[in-house]
Amino acid sequence: MSDLLRRLLRTPQGALGLAIVGLIVLVALLGPWLAPYGPDTMAPRLRYRPPDAAFLLGTDQYGRDILSRLLVGARATVFLACVATALGTMAGALIGTTSAFLGGRADEAIMRTIDAIMSIPSLLFALLIVNLLGKSSFSAVMAIGIAFTPGMARVTRSVALAVRKQDYVNAAVARGETGGYIVLREMLPNVVAPIVVEMTIRIAFAVMLFATLSFLGLGAQPPSSEWGLMVAEARRFMHLSPWMILWPSLAIALVAIGFNLLGDGLRDALNPRT
Amino acid sequence: MNVLQVQGYSLDYATRSGFVRALDSIDLAIARGEVLGLVGESGSGKTSLAWAIMRHLPPLAREAGSISLAGKSLITANAAEIGTIRGRRIGMVFQDPSTSLNPTLALGQQLAEVLVRHRGLSRRQAWAEGEAMLARVGLKQPAAMMHRYPHEASGGEKQRVVIATAFACQPECILFDEPTTALDVVTARQILDLFTELQAETSVASLYISHDLALVSRVADRVAVVHRGRLVEQGAVDTVFGAPREEYTRRLLAAVPRPHHRLVTGNPPAEAPPLVEVDRLNVRYAGSTPLQQANRDISLSVRAGEILGIVGESGSGKSTLARALTGLNRFEGMLRFSNRRIGGLRDMDRAYRRDVQIVFQHPDSSLNPRQRVREILSRPITLYGGETRIEGLLEQVRLPVSFADRFPHQLSGGEKQRVAIARAFASRPRLVICDEITSALDVSVQAAVVELLVDLQRHHGTAYLFITHDINLVRQLAHRIAVMYRGELVEVISIDDLAATGPRHPYTRLLMDAVPPPREYAS
Repeated sequence: MSDLLRRLLRTPQGALGLAIVGLIVLVALLGPWLAPYGPDTMAPRLRYRPPDAAFLLGTDQYGRDILSRLLVGARATVFLACVATALGTMAGALIGTTSAFLGGRADEAIMRTIDAIMSIPSLLFALLIVNLLGKSSFSAVMAIGIAFTPGMARVTRSVALAVRKQDYVNAAVARGETGGYIVLREMLPNVVAPIVVEMTIRIAFAVMLFATLSFLGLGAQPPSSEWGLMVAEARRFMHLSPWMILWPSLAIALVAIGFNLLGDGLRDALNPRT
Repeated sequence: MNVLQVQGYSLDYATRSGFVRALDSIDLAIARGEVLGLVGESGSGKTSLAWAIMRHLPPLAREAGSISLAGKSLITANAAEIGTIRGRRIGMVFQDPSTSLNPTLALGQQLAEVLVRHRGLSRRQAWAEGEAMLARVGLKQPAAMMHRYPHEASGGEKQRVVIATAFACQPECILFDEPTTALDVVTARQILDLFTELQAETSVASLYISHDLALVSRVADRVAVVHRGRLVEQGAVDTVFGAPREEYTRRLLAAVPRPHHRLVTGNPPAEAPPLVEVDRLNVRYAGSTPLQQANRDISLSVRAGEILGIVGESGSGKSTLARALTGLNRFEGMLRFSNRRIGGLRDMDRAYRRDVQIVFQHPDSSLNPRQRVREILSRPITLYGGETRIEGLLEQVRLPVSFADRFPHQLSGGEKQRVAIARAFASRPRLVICDEITSALDVSVQAAVVELLVDLQRHHGTAYLFITHDINLVRQLAHRIAVMYRGELVEVISIDDLAATGPRHPYTRLLMDAVPPPREYAS
């Protein structure tokens, strides 16, 4: 583990990604304590304030402190994106590995179904699921998780196909092990490395997708300070105060960049050949 | 005058934990018309030396000493000079012709390229010259071969093209890096004959790198033995192999399989009922025509406690048979195991799987890299019951008990193969299928693993299906030998009959002649 960390810090993108993600995790954990004001504290006389000493990032249309809202909203945004990605990854990894293990017609059937689902754009697909499940943060998480599953299944299967040919899987088959044991204990642990990389990069997509859903009014609901929702609300007041839309957008961009860099770094660090 | 001279040459590779010595003060020289055999086990630095001579080292390498070609130092030569030497004055023949040729270029283009680059011929001249070269290396239709792509030629044909390329510019020195290891025995023999012929004709100075001592003893004039980057012993072949001075050389020679030195004594009781009977077994892969079928009408039997060797070249269906018997392939036909009829995968119940175990060729891939030895060995116990302790299993294969908590990557190749053998024997099987289990191992490790197998067989009375391409090894070990050729079983011959009357089938004779036993020296 410490070896992995050292390898990760050796590449610039890994070190930078780790720093950004570390900062984001810290903010997500400690946000409510770091916030100078309450996220919902309104001050009608201090609306549309540009950044100054009292309000470092300015205030919004109700006079709420944007910095405090961002700090508190980090948890909802990042945490939910991670949960959604983890869900999609687990389901996808399981489907992909099982498909690779079964092979033949079953593999064909599973993968063509996955292809069919993948032909629907993930945002459209997520919208569909949210409409079925109703508007809430929970259904947004489910929607993103399900929307990510086919892609993860595809990535996992390609790795698992190589693992399937290894003799330790043959040995397990010859020994008469059950399919469940072979998929879970023999194959899955050996496809983890590329999945972790893919997952890290997908968290960035999840943050953006989640923000998009909230932006469209289908994810987090007011008065939540989820970042996508903040952008959506700020849009109407863009001409009064550009800061309101700038800060949450920058925060989303930073998270996306951070996880992308970390993913790139992990890919190099987990590859024994570099 | 020596063509190639290496003096006090040392090579280190930079790694994360400091420099690792790959070669340590190597001294050797090759004269015109001479063949120097360089033998050693994997990781001993043989190939590093070849690349050092070719001046193709990774940037992390650090060197000392000198390498010179006809008096000119190669280490101090600049890139432009090296460009005119490589391919022109030093040629190289690689191990695997299927990776050393570019799959997107016709064979003729790759050969003509060298002639255009180094001898300044025009395209047309180079093509004609290339054709002549291919004819010279014994290819039947050189003109057609020039237009073929690597995937349209067999392994032996490709290696002939590589050899033709190496000889094309009449270099002073050619490096042969295990040129026959990736080929089938019969093809390897032909390539070897070609090498001897061309060598005598051109009197080039050759460095012949190989791990196969028997082979080197036949082709080389002088031999150098490397062990962990050091030259252990060097001298005329007869001196080094006939009266080795160093302990390491002696150990290496003792490990070479000699067919007349039987490891298994006596025969299994002849009246013992057959443990396994295979009658007209067929295996067909999807989309193959009957002629390409992997196994055609295989009929054979193994008695309890018998070692049946199966030999044949790659693609002859040896492994397919092993996979059918362990339920990894579908098959048609009759299989009987201790008088129980096994009609297909459905009949392979827990009892059958417990009694029939398999050990694979590559221990790297047959042990799950994410599981500790303890977990690997505990699976058969959980599945088949029994009170075998993991410690006992490790002791049985002569591994320390502390290995139970290691991961496979913390073990050497031989140790890994022992773990795989321990796993196979955990269920007290009656038949163990050994699928080329020693071919990925070094010769000394191979000898130890084979000795272990013989001990286990004596102790448990297990029957083996010993699949290998090493004919000398199987003659040491097997009670009977089954010979396979293109999916068919051509002959089953007992070792006594083989000694008394020789092989009956012409293919068996061809196979036996291709691999002569190592030369015996009166010691």
